[in-house]
Amino acid sequence: MNKFGIVAIGLALIAAPVAAGNRLIVPGQPVAVAKSMLTVTPAVEWNKLGARPGRNSETWTFDGDALNDLTFYGGIEPERTLFREVSKRNKPLPRVKATMLVTDIPTLVENSYRIALDTPLFTVEGMEPMAFAGKPGIRFTYSFTRPNEDLPRKGEGRGAMIDGKLYLITFEAPRLHYFDAGVASFRQVADSAKL
Amino acid sequence: MAGWMIAAALAGAALGADASDRLAPLPPYGTAYTPTTVDERGLWQQADEAERDLRDSPAVIRDAALNAYIGKVLCRSVGEDRCRGVRVYVVRAPYFNAFMAPNGMMIVWTGALLRLRDEAELASVLGHEFGHFEMRHGLKTFRRGRTIGDIIAWTSVISPYSTLPVSLIQLHFSYSRAQETEADLMGLRYLTAAGYRPLAASRIWERLMAEEDATALGRKRRVTHHYSAGFFADHPTELARATYLRETAGADGERGDEARDAFLTAMRPWRATFLADQIKRNDFGGSEYLLGELATGHWTSDLLLTRGELYRERGNPRDLVSAAQFYQQAIDAGCTDPIAWRGLGPSLLRGQQAAAGRAALKTYLEKAPAASDRAAMAMLIGEGGVQ
Repeated sequence: MNKFGIVAIGLALIAAPVAAGNRLIVPGQPVAVAKSMLTVTPAVEWNKLGARPGRNSETWTFDGDALNDLTFYGGIEPERTLFREVSKRNKPLPRVKATMLVTDIPTLVENSYRIALDTPLFTVEGMEPMAFAGKPGIRFTYSFTRPNEDLPRKGEGRGAMIDGKLYLITFEAPRLHYFDAGVASFRQVADSAKL
Repeated sequence: MAGWMIAAALAGAALGADASDRLAPLPPYGTAYTPTTVDERGLWQQADEAERDLRDSPAVIRDAALNAYIGKVLCRSVGEDRCRGVRVYVVRAPYFNAFMAPNGMMIVWTGALLRLRDEAELASVLGHEFGHFEMRHGLKTFRRGRTIGDIIAWTSVISPYSTLPVSLIQLHFSYSRAQETEADLMGLRYLTAAGYRPLAASRIWERLMAEEDATALGRKRRVTHHYSAGFFADHPTELARATYLRETAGADGERGDEARDAFLTAMRPWRATFLADQIKRNDFGGSEYLLGELATGHWTSDLLLTRGELYRERGNPRDLVSAAQFYQQAIDAGCTDPIAWRGLGPSLLRGQQAAAGRAALKTYLEKAPAASDRAAMAMLIGEGGVQ
């Protein structure tokens, strides 16, 4: 192989993570999310982040995930965790169970966050029935504080158990300004979910 | 435990300060104490900054009654003159821990409050931490650390729990093993002088060992109980601590006040929160051990309810059967909290017992007409549902 070829392969290797990185989501077109059959049709532009919190998940944001974080979980199978497990031995995360009821989803989210973020400051504020991709589902609201910062955050989740798998979309942002500014766009995305 | 060590520690404690600290002879708990040396001033300044951060942290529990009680126990165990130099902060964190900064800021985690059984045990923990303060361990560690390199900087990065402000984590002092032993024995001296039961101190460590083992077994890990302290360990092993505390407590270690009722009364308003924080750690083995330990043969309705939640949240088929039994036992034991029926219903539904599950959820809806999850629970039994 000539020198040029080697350089080209080298460049391709360096460029690969960039290509798989953050991407603009175009409004008005259905897009499959979280490596699953779940599709949504956003009404406004979002940025898709290259980093995923887990295997079947995907994060969108407007201003960066610390300010507004829309995360899709596309069919988490039984005995799998919501996020990538940091330490299975020392900090195991709770697992999805096939028999879970929709009312168990907020608890799974709460316990996963408490362990993954290392914070006891997480409260599920309320839940109510709401269809998810045409199936019986749940809408719930929560509030939490990440460790090492005093910034109160709010979150809203929409999810369902479909064929024993967990489908979930969450939106979270600082309570000050960002939550209220972004929640309508999140709800529009969640309403457009189809399987 | 070497006798000379105990003797040395007690002698050191009696003197109040190390001989090398002749420049700073005043006790640090004195009114308007001003740090004397440049090292001590720097350390206090750092600690003051950490305290300002912590004071505003949402993780601090500000309940007046709880804080007043802990202050009272501290004052009884170390004496009225000493305790005035200390500010105690109760931090919401479901692990056993307490620590002391050199400026008199004491931090107690709620996981410690959940695990202690009586006032004597609380007094022994508070007395131990106060011992670090009185003997200026923070300062000595700092000086030693500066001489031998950046060990402090590294150990402070490895924090077991990070709810606390960053500045506080940087200030997470790890005292040396000898200092821990010294503080243990100092704490024991306070405990005896205050008329508390001296054996209380050793029991805490015995139970913590068993809980660690239970956690390891529950997570299918090898039980690697530390019977000897590793080279880099900054605390003596729990076994060593239990042993020397038991020996020093002596033959009349059982004598003295344990004030169990006063302790339980003070913790009652918070117990449900502490228990809920514990089971949400997803530590099935450790939580199951702890609940059994708190019950000591007598399962009260709140412990049964928590055990039901623990099993339901793990959610294996046989766990759901056990969970339903525990909720039912809690109800039979006089539990009136609607949460029992909210747990019982879904456990039965998930365990294919539809009729009984629906009945339990119906009871929940009757008992908690204004609950924030009312509509969602009603959907489970086919009342209302998806729009």
